[in-house]
Amino acid sequence: MTTELRNVSKVFTDPRSGKGLVALKDVDLAVEEGEFLCLVGASGCGKSTTLNLLAGFESPSRGEVLFRGERVRGPSPARGVVFQESSLYPWMSVLKNVMFSLQGEERQEERAMEQLRLVGLEDFAHSRPNDLSGGMKQRVAIARTLAMGPELLLMDEPFGSLDEQTRRKLDTEVLNLWQRERKTVVFVTHNIDEALILGTRVVLMSASPGRIEREWRIDEPWPRDLASKDMIRIKGEIISMLQACPCANGAPAAMIDLEGM
Amino acid sequence: MEGREEATRAALEEGRAQFTFRSERGRLLVRGVGNAALGILLVVALWWAVAEAMIYIRGVSFPTPPETIAVLWELLRGAGINGASIYAHTSASLERWGKGYLIALVIGLSFGMALGTLPRLYEVGMIPVYVFQMIPGLAWIPIAMLLFGLGETGTVFIIAMTALSPIIINTAGGIREVPTVFTRVARMSGKDDSAMFFSVLLPAASLSIINGMRIGLANGWRVLIAAEMVVGVALGLGFSIYMSRYDLDFTTAFACIMVICAIGLTIEKLFFVSLENRVRHRLGLDREDQL
Repeated sequence: MTTELRNVSKVFTDPRSGKGLVALKDVDLAVEEGEFLCLVGASGCGKSTTLNLLAGFESPSRGEVLFRGERVRGPSPARGVVFQESSLYPWMSVLKNVMFSLQGEERQEERAMEQLRLVGLEDFAHSRPNDLSGGMKQRVAIARTLAMGPELLLMDEPFGSLDEQTRRKLDTEVLNLWQRERKTVVFVTHNIDEALILGTRVVLMSASPGRIEREWRIDEPWPRDLASKDMIRIKGEIISMLQACPCANGAPAAMIDLEGM
Repeated sequence: MEGREEATRAALEEGRAQFTFRSERGRLLVRGVGNAALGILLVVALWWAVAEAMIYIRGVSFPTPPETIAVLWELLRGAGINGASIYAHTSASLERWGKGYLIALVIGLSFGMALGTLPRLYEVGMIPVYVFQMIPGLAWIPIAMLLFGLGETGTVFIIAMTALSPIIINTAGGIREVPTVFTRVARMSGKDDSAMFFSVLLPAASLSIINGMRIGLANGWRVLIAAEMVVGVALGLGFSIYMSRYDLDFTTAFACIMVICAIGLTIEKLFFVSLENRVRHRLGLDREDQL
């Protein structure tokens, strides 16, 4: 087991408006070594909050977050995040962006190039991020996060803003990377198909307050066939639960905003 | 290389997705200069219309553009104002402006960076900045006189104080508005505070900082007349304009106003626009909207 949320609640309060939001309530989640865990659920159900807690960007209001048995006190290179939005520094070249996150001083350029080769972008090492397409930017972001040498890879809807075709291609790349590097991955998505194609385990969250609703283990080998009997059954179960749970109707808009604080 | 029309036609016929054509930079430059000239002509036309109307209605000798330009020409050829050439007046003003601005820059940038990075300090520290910003140029005169008496120091003080606020506000604001994701990347990469500041916060905020520097510079130049009221010596463009109310030589005052506008516009448009473009390029932001 790498990382664990133990009875975690996360509350956001806005002292100005006097409104509070329980983004997560009594969540227990253990990320197992080497697994590809997908967190799904409608927006506002606390997926991103869960990821931010694992990363150490947020701290829990109740309960504790443990990494290798130790309490998480802040972000660390051991837990790398790939963000949904473009997070590359536009004033650095692609190579410099990757080098920025490298740990250790020696052979920086060489090691950064290695990471770029892994995502197939070594030819763009000296380009600026804004010269790249959205899909390429996210590949660089993945290379940069891998350059930190993380034991846990946290991905927050990394391909959410990309077109369907690019997303599928990058899903496959992430899968290959995971199989080759044997990292532990937590992958947040609102796309059920994406979760079913990637995950060894799919965890469904629901909102108001955010909690874990149910989880499925998926043992099918890759490449997966979404039309197989098991997949159709699981997808059907997820969809029916999504419709039943209150988050499908959406939490009040003002409340959802608080999650980003 | 082909022109735009032919290149477009050829690309459509041959079914190519991308094509290049002869750059029209020259034409765009001519148009830019033409637009600037038209805009300036518009100001002159308005000025002239008002001048003629005032001469007709109120019977005052409102300086017209041709009269002013004639006086300006004489001044440029060496005629004196209050016993000094226009060049002496201009360089005296430029020197005060430079000194005041330099002081504002040093204080403004360091204060702005401190306020931008320390949230608790920002909440309290920005209140005085906003208060200073609200004090009109002329209102600094009694303060400057009480602090320094008549003389050069008071003038430089007024210029510095009016240039200061926008520099602080934009520097602090720019740093505070750096996207969370940028700072999160640095934190998870294990960067210390100084790497965070110099590699992330400063470059991310630099366009906003330059904008503050630009507004500060313009503020300092515009306050010149007020600032030179306390200068005590008969030298300076602002001083000359101020003196015209006593000797009623409004045409010379107008010529001085023209010089002030010309210098301000030149520095703003030539220096700061190119500085901003260069920084934009360095930051890799100039390619954002391209193909």
